[in-house]
Amino acid sequence: MNEVIIDCLGEACPVPLVKAQNKLKEMAIGDVLIVQIDHSCAMKNLPEWTNKDGHNVEVEEVDDGEWEVIIEKAK
Amino acid sequence: MENTEKKVKFFDKVKNNDIYKKWVKSPFTYVAAAMLLAIFQIITLASTGNPWGVSGVFAYWGAWLFEGVGGNVDKWYYFASSGAQSTLENGIMNHAGTWRNLGIIFGALATTLLASGFKLKKIKSKKQIIAATLGGLLMGYGARIAYGCNIGALFSGIASLSLSGWVFAIGMFAGAVVGSKLLVKYFM
Repeated sequence: MNEVIIDCLGEACPVPLVKAQNKLKEMAIGDVLIVQIDHSCAMKNLPEWTNKDGHNVEVEEVDDGEWEVIIEKAK
Repeated sequence: MENTEKKVKFFDKVKNNDIYKKWVKSPFTYVAAAMLLAIFQIITLASTGNPWGVSGVFAYWGAWLFEGVGGNVDKWYYFASSGAQSTLENGIMNHAGTWRNLGIIFGALATTLLASGFKLKKIKSKKQIIAATLGGLLMGYGARIAYGCNIGALFSGIASLSLSGWVFAIGMFAGAVVGSKLLVKYFM
């Protein structure tokens, strides 16, 4: 199992989403992708897309206005 | 000392309060937000006689700023109408749109502060500065020659059953497609 972190701090929507989508394509099933974000709308559209695409997702608030979206590739 | 301890306890309690989490901390659904926008659009039209607009206000701010440093916009085509002239004469303090825009700015600030989501974001690259400046100028200029932005021309236009709103939607959609392509090309 691999764990990849992408730093999207300071990046506005939809950059975090597209970056996560591209990265996830290269990863294997069971791998975990952690997307660091500080743009609150990514906290909504990232889990929305991952749920639709069928992956496991969790959002963690790491600091004021800073989140980590943890995605486990499921298929 | 005792006071600070009490405060810490209070905010720790609020943080875990279900009502706080549901109404203040987590974002509303798109449907709920759309309903609120519709309701406030109706209130705006009923109370001011005009549908909601945002970017037109900035043009007046620019004019007042320009007049403040000794300029004069009387001869400018954009401000030539008697309505625009009387708005300028009445001043910024009597301008409903100004108060509404300030309300949006401070309301948005209050919302992020209440959700403890406030953060000064760092600028990641020079590209961001260039894109933001260029994008802002294009949006501002475009909104003025179109007599409205996505609020005044699109939302209020369509809500007023005006064809122009739909024409604006087509143009905006095409612009968004081109913008997304540029974004993927330069920001990924």
